[in-house]
Amino acid sequence: MHGSGKDYREKLKKAPSKDHGNGKRWRGALWILPSFLGVLVFYLLPYADVARRSFFGAVDNQFVGLANYQAILGNTAFRLAVKNTVKFTLICVPTLVLLALACAVVLYQSKYGGVIKSAFLMPMALPAVSVALVWRLLFHSQGLFNYWLSHFGMEGRDWMNGQGAFWILVGSYIWKNLGYDIVLWMAGLSGISENIYEAAKVDGAGEWKCFLKITLPNLKPSLYTITVLSFLNSFKVFREAYLVAGDYPHEGIYMMQHLFNNWFRAFSFDKMAAAAVLESGVLLVLILLLQKAWDSGVE
Amino acid sequence: MKFRKLKRAAGIVLSMALVLGSLAGCSGGGAQESGDGGAGSSNQAGSGGGKQAMGRFLEEDVTLPIVLSTVYDMKKLEDGTIRILGDNGDNGARTIWDSKDSGVNWEKAFDVPAEIQDQGDGYVDHAALSSDGQSIWAYNKIEDDAITQILYLVSKDGEVSQVPFELPDAKGGSSKSFEDGEETGDGGAGMVKNMVLDLCFLDPGQVLLKDISDIIYQINVGDGSVAHTYDFSGAEDTHQIYMAGNKLVVATSTEVLVYDTETGEQQQTEEALQKSVSESGMLTAVDTVDAGESIYCLTGNGLYHYKFGGSVMEQLIDGTMNTLGAPAFYPIALTMLDEENYMVAATDLNSDALGGITLLRYTWSADTPAKPDKELKVYSLYNNRELRQSVSKFQKEHTDVYVNYQVAMSEENGMTVSDALKTLTTEIMAGKGPDLMLLDGMPIKTYMEKGILKDITSLFQEDSGSYFENIRKAYQDSEGKVYAAPARFFIPMAQGGGAYYTPGEDFASFTSKQGVLANMQPETVVEKFWYSCGASWQKEDNTLDAEKVTEFLSQLKNAYGEYNGSAIEDTTAVAISEGGAVNELQKVSLSWGDFDLAFGRVNVNVGLYGRMDYGMLDAVNKKLGQGDYGLMPGQAEGVFVPAMVIGVSSKSAQPETAEAFVKYLFSPQAQKVSQLGGFPVEKESFRSMVDGHEYDNRDSDMRLMAGGSAAGSDEMLSYEMVPTPEEDIQKITKMVESFSVPALQDDVIKESVVEQGAKVLKGELSPEEATDAIMQKVNIYLAE
Repeated sequence: MHGSGKDYREKLKKAPSKDHGNGKRWRGALWILPSFLGVLVFYLLPYADVARRSFFGAVDNQFVGLANYQAILGNTAFRLAVKNTVKFTLICVPTLVLLALACAVVLYQSKYGGVIKSAFLMPMALPAVSVALVWRLLFHSQGLFNYWLSHFGMEGRDWMNGQGAFWILVGSYIWKNLGYDIVLWMAGLSGISENIYEAAKVDGAGEWKCFLKITLPNLKPSLYTITVLSFLNSFKVFREAYLVAGDYPHEGIYMMQHLFNNWFRAFSFDKMAAAAVLESGVLLVLILLLQKAWDSGVE
Repeated sequence: MKFRKLKRAAGIVLSMALVLGSLAGCSGGGAQESGDGGAGSSNQAGSGGGKQAMGRFLEEDVTLPIVLSTVYDMKKLEDGTIRILGDNGDNGARTIWDSKDSGVNWEKAFDVPAEIQDQGDGYVDHAALSSDGQSIWAYNKIEDDAITQILYLVSKDGEVSQVPFELPDAKGGSSKSFEDGEETGDGGAGMVKNMVLDLCFLDPGQVLLKDISDIIYQINVGDGSVAHTYDFSGAEDTHQIYMAGNKLVVATSTEVLVYDTETGEQQQTEEALQKSVSESGMLTAVDTVDAGESIYCLTGNGLYHYKFGGSVMEQLIDGTMNTLGAPAFYPIALTMLDEENYMVAATDLNSDALGGITLLRYTWSADTPAKPDKELKVYSLYNNRELRQSVSKFQKEHTDVYVNYQVAMSEENGMTVSDALKTLTTEIMAGKGPDLMLLDGMPIKTYMEKGILKDITSLFQEDSGSYFENIRKAYQDSEGKVYAAPARFFIPMAQGGGAYYTPGEDFASFTSKQGVLANMQPETVVEKFWYSCGASWQKEDNTLDAEKVTEFLSQLKNAYGEYNGSAIEDTTAVAISEGGAVNELQKVSLSWGDFDLAFGRVNVNVGLYGRMDYGMLDAVNKKLGQGDYGLMPGQAEGVFVPAMVIGVSSKSAQPETAEAFVKYLFSPQAQKVSQLGGFPVEKESFRSMVDGHEYDNRDSDMRLMAGGSAAGSDEMLSYEMVPTPEEDIQKITKMVESFSVPALQDDVIKESVVEQGAKVLKGELSPEEATDAIMQKVNIYLAE
C-alpha cells in the first residue's frame, strides 16, 4: 500500500507476521475439518475400537492380553489365508502393473487408443455376480471350458475345486483391473512432454532407448499410485471367489477375507480384531516403504 | 464477471441441494398404518411420546352342547339367531343348531330330513345357509357305480324339497372317478359327470354353486333355472366363491374378482383388495354387515375390513397374535355378530377336538393394549410349523405377551444360510437379537462355546420322567449344563424285505450286499446315511477321522453298485421332488420311498421318520411279503436326529418370558402339535402320536386308498386306518429309548460329504480322492 511492491515483499521476508501464517494454517484446517471428521468417525475411531477388541474376549469382553495374537499366529487357517493372500498379491500386482504399462504404451501410440481404452474399462463395470455366473458357466466340471477342451482331446476337470482355482482368480483379477491401470498409465504418459522425445530423437535415440531413459523415469510418480491402488484392488477379488465357491473354497483361494467372513459368523471377534490389526500394520509398513522408495527415486 | 456470478450461484444451489438431500435421507421412514382408529382398529403400537394405543380383539373358545365332527356353514340370520350346520360327532347325524344369544347358549333346531342323512347311499360334502335360515345341501348319491348330485333345499323349519337343477357334465368331456369326494382318476369305479365343489346363497331365492370345471352357476332354487354363468374353466388356479350383498366375490391365490349378480358382469377391479391378496394371502372366509357395501375377510394374516371402491384394506385382527394365523387353522365360516364381535368356525388340525372343529369368538376389548407390553422375539432360519402353532396358543394364554416370530430364510428374500447367520450375528452384538432361537441349521456348539446361549438347565429339572431325557439332554455339556434342547426328533429308519434288510444289522453287514441301495439319488443316499454314520467320525479333538470317512464311502459305494440315472428318474422320490418346493427334511424322509420300495424300484427304503404312519408301514411290509422296519444301519450306534432345538439368548431382553415360552414348548399341549416336524420328546405326547387313537371307534369298513406314483397311475397301496398295535408301539418306543448320540449337525461338513460322496457313488471319484477333498475343506473349517 505504501512504498513499492518490492519493499513490501522484502518486509515480508524479513519479518513475516506470525498472525498471518497461523491464520492461514487455521483456515486450511477448517477446510479439511468436515472430511477429517468423517474419517475420524467412520475409520479412525472404529479402528481404535478394533485395536481395543484385539486385547479382549469376543463376547464376554474380558481382558486377555496378547492371547488373541498368539491364537491367530498359531492358527493354521490364518496361516493358510496369509500365505494365499501374499502369494496372490506378489503374483498379481507386478503382473498387472507391467501388463497395463505395456498396453498403455501401445494404446498411447495408436490412433484408436481412446476407443480401445474404453473397451478395457468394461470389465470393471460388470457386477461381481455376473462375473461369478460366467465363471461357473465356464469352469464348472461340466462347463464350457471343459467342453472346448474335449474338442481338442483333452480331459476336463472341476477347475474351481482344484489348483486351477488360484490361476482363475489371478486371471479374473487381471482381466477386471487391467483397464483401470491402463487409464492411469496413459494419464502418466500424457504428462510427459513431447519435446523431450523430439530432442532425444534429434540426438539419435531409438524407441527402446526413449522408453528406458525418458518414459520410465517420468512414470515413477504414477508407479507408486498405480501400485498402491492395484494392491488395494487385489482384496476385492474376494467377491467373485465368495460368490462362486462360498464360505469354504478350495484351499488355494482361501484368502484373508474368507477367514474374516467365517470368524464373524462364528462370533470370533477377538481373533478378527487381532488379525485386522496385524494386517493393517503390515499394509502400513508396505505403503510407507513404497513411499520412501518413490521419494528417494524422485530425489 | 457474469460467469463468476453464475458459477457462484450454481455452487450455492448445488450445496443447498446436497444438504437438503442429506437431511431428507436422514429422516425416519413413514409409519406404517395397519388401520384407522375407532372400534375397528387393533395392533397399533403407541407411537411418539406418549400413550400406548388401546383396544384389541380377544379370542375365546365357544363350546357347543354337542361335538361337531364337521361344520358346513355358520351364519347370523335376519332375526339375529346364529345358525350352524354340521355333523353330530356322536351319532353322525346332520344337524342344525341355533344360538339366540350370540353363541353363549345353543339349542338344536332340528336334524335334517332323512333324505340328506347318511343312509349308506351317498354323502354330503357341501352345504350353505341363507340369511332367512334356509339351507341348501349338495348330496352325492351313489348308485350303479356312478355318483349323481342332488340339491336339497331345507326350509328354516326343516321341510325339504329338491331343487330341480341338474349340473351339466363337466367341461372337458371325460368323466372322473372319485372316492370320498377326492378325484382318483379317469373313469372306473365311482364315475361322476360333475360335482358341486362350493356353494353359497346369493339371497333366499338364488344360490351360487361351483362345479369341478370351475364354472359357477347362479340358479333360482324355485325352478332350477340358471340366471347367470361365470366360466373360469380355463384358469389354472382354483376359484373360491363368496357373497357380499349382491356382489359375487371370486378369489384365487393371486387375485380377487367382483361380479354384479344382477347383471352377471364383472365389476371394476378393486386394486386394494387385489394387492392385499398378494400380501396377506388368499381369502378363506368372507362376511358382510352392510348389504355388501363392505366386506370382512379372513386370510392367513388375520381379519381384514374392506370397503368396496376404497383404497385401504384395514387389518382388524393380527393373525400372528392368535389362532387365526396358525398354520393348521382352516376357516370354514366367518360370522359377523356386529362390528365388535365376530365368530369363526374352522378346522384346526392340531386341536384335540373330533375332526379338529373349532368355534372361536373375537370380542373387542377397549381396555386391552393394542399390542402387549412384552415383546418376545423368536428366531429361526426356516419356517417351523410346530413353533408357529405354539406361538398362537401361547399368545392366547398370555395376552400380555406379543411373540414376534421371525423366519430368516424364505423364497422371497433369496437369502443364504451364511447371510442369515451374519445378519443374526450383527443383531445379537448390537443388542437387537432375538430372545429365543430355534437352532436347527445353526452352529449350536459354536454358540454354546461363545456364550451366546443362556444356561437353561433349571427348566429341565422337573418332570424328568415324563420326557425322553436321552434326547432332551442331547446338548448337555460336561458340567451337566444345558444350553440347548431339542423339542422333537427324527428316527433314522430303514425298511425292506428279508433278503436285503434285517433290523439290527450293522453297517458293514448291510453294505456288504452289493446293490442293496441301487436306484436311489446319490446325493440323497449319502445324506441319509450321514445321519446314522457321521456321529462316529469326530475325534476327541473335534477333527474328522479320515479313515472312517473313507470306510463309509467305500462301503456305501459297494452297497450302491453302478450308477443308473434312468432308473432313478423313474422313482417316486424324484417325481415328488421335481413336482414342487420341498424342504431339506422332506427329501430325506422315509415316507417318500414307500411306493418305490413296495413296487420294487428300490430294494431298501431308508430315511428319517418323524410321523407315525403305521398303516403305510404295514401295507409296504405286506406288499413285500416279509418286510420289516428298524433303525437305519450306521457306523454309530444309538443315533437320533434332533429337531426343533431351542435355545435362549444370553443377551435376551425378556429372559423370564423366553424361559416361560421354552417351558410351554416342552409342555404336553405344545408337544402334541404335529406338523410333520418330528416326534415329540414328551412321552405322553409321543405315545399319543404313535398309537393311532384317532382311528378308534371308526367303522370297520372305513378304508383309505393311497395311490399313484410317477411310474404309473395304477399303483395303489390300500390299508385300513386302525390304531397301531401295541407290539409296534413298544418297538418304536424301545428304539427311542435306545438313543444316546445326536447325529452330527454340522452343515459345512455335511455339504462337503454329500457333494463328494455323490461323486463316489456316480463313479467320478474314488473314496480316497473324495475323502481328501472332504478333509481339505473340512480341515480349514475346523482349524478356524
